[in-house]
Amino acid sequence: MIRLNQLEIGYTLKQGHISIFKNMNAEFRAGELVGLMGDNGVGKSTLLKTITGILKALAGEVLLNGKNLNAYSSGELAQHLSIVITEKIGGFNLTVWDVVASGRTPYINIFGKLGAEDEQIITSSLEQLSLVFLKDKFIDELSDGQRQKVMIAKSLAQQTPIIILDEPTAFLDYNSKHHLFKVLKDLCEIQQKLIIVSSHDIDLMRPYITKSLTLQEGNIMDIL
Amino acid sequence: MPSSKFIVYTFCLILLVAVLAVCDLCFGSINLFLVDKHDPLFSTIIFDIRLPKMLTCLIAGSGLAICGLLLQSLFRNPLAGPYVLGVSSGASLFVAIATMVLTSVNISGMFFVGKGIITLFSIAGAFFVTLIILAVSKKTKSNVTILLVGLMLSQILGATQGLIEYMSSADSLKTFVIWSMGSVGSTTLSDIWFIAPPALIIITLSFTLIKPMNAILLNEQYAQNLGINIHRLRISVIIITSVLVGLITAFCGPIAFVGISVPIASRLFFKTSHHLHQLVFCILIGSAVMLTADIICQVISDQFTLPINTVTTLIGSPVVIYLLFKSKLSIG
Repeated sequence: MIRLNQLEIGYTLKQGHISIFKNMNAEFRAGELVGLMGDNGVGKSTLLKTITGILKALAGEVLLNGKNLNAYSSGELAQHLSIVITEKIGGFNLTVWDVVASGRTPYINIFGKLGAEDEQIITSSLEQLSLVFLKDKFIDELSDGQRQKVMIAKSLAQQTPIIILDEPTAFLDYNSKHHLFKVLKDLCEIQQKLIIVSSHDIDLMRPYITKSLTLQEGNIMDIL
Repeated sequence: MPSSKFIVYTFCLILLVAVLAVCDLCFGSINLFLVDKHDPLFSTIIFDIRLPKMLTCLIAGSGLAICGLLLQSLFRNPLAGPYVLGVSSGASLFVAIATMVLTSVNISGMFFVGKGIITLFSIAGAFFVTLIILAVSKKTKSNVTILLVGLMLSQILGATQGLIEYMSSADSLKTFVIWSMGSVGSTTLSDIWFIAPPALIIITLSFTLIKPMNAILLNEQYAQNLGINIHRLRISVIIITSVLVGLITAFCGPIAFVGISVPIASRLFFKTSHHLHQLVFCILIGSAVMLTADIICQVISDQFTLPINTVTTLIGSPVVIYLLFKSKLSIG
């Protein structure tokens, strides 16, 4: 599904490139739950941003189903890849339903009108994460764990075969962290989704993941 | 919000706006009920004075409310609005420059040329400030910084405007000071023909932004991941805001309060995040607020007419403060 080919990641500034990690080669397939580990600043978030197309690769390429990521339009990419990031959302009367419904954005018309099929998909996404009872609640009223689950439900409603999560356990308590990884593992096994998760909770994550990718200083990448 | 609820609320608001529009036509320094309907004075009052004024209220109220809604959603900050971000001040300064230029070369008598130049200057001023704000928003992620830059810009533009006024002739100063108090009463029916078509086109265009606006409420990265072209969305909001604020400011002067508080009130009152609902509600509430303000300006005294800015601010601000305290939830 995703292949990193001699990938170099980093940032492009006016003065030139800032390279963070070089010569990355890896392959991730459907049904895998990949744990991305490494110290702060080593390039985990930069890698995830490059895989999702938010940042451009400095060299090499990211292949999505054999095709270079840059060859996809933003609309097409939205139907292949969804993200869950650490930044909290809220306010503006956003309800759980609204946030999960936003996952249908790539499929609906310019007036944002949801069809019967869209509503069915949203309900089913809420059901999969046991969030139906919260659907009319405002996002501001939820706990951090519930918010993370809502964002994952949004990714499910987006119906992408790949889900990428950046530090999803950052604000969660111990039990919620375990629960979240269990949900992610089920999604990989039952729906054959490829899920890539970055986290500092290495020991906690290890029993759930099927593949680990560890980034270390000096462009060293371990894949297990 | 379920469709049935949306339709009921929309219908009630349309009814409210219709009643207020009729009241706006009826109230004024001359009691219409005492004038014979066949008297030419009757049609002069209705068609030359009160109808253009009423239509201006509808255009200004709905246009400014839409600008506020779009800016607040784009910056994900309820404090954003054309007046706070300095967009209205930009339009004002450029109108001041245009007024000075026109009076000095004496072409203001040529109706459409004069109005056209002032309107173009006003739109250019609004465009200029919106561009600066957007450039700042690309440099910093902090909403507070963006708002502070907007406030500072507003001060700089205000001071520059003061300088121009100080150096201008008595005639042009008088024209400009009256305009800057904000008024819906100086527009004529020909002005309406000039403002209404572009305003209606732009207001209609804002409905094409419903989907990206809904997505950007999450945040920019999520919106981008949902397939939204953020760059195109920003440009669209700049164009819509600049043209609407520019047009409205050129004809009514810088109108405070409506742009920022109508979307806040609409979000607090109708608890929906969907931009189809919010656009419709803002258009109707904005129109209702302007019509109410104008009616109050008329009925408070038959000796003088209050500047509309005074009324919109005095009545609207306490309402928003009340709603903010009543609501348990944050709006941004």
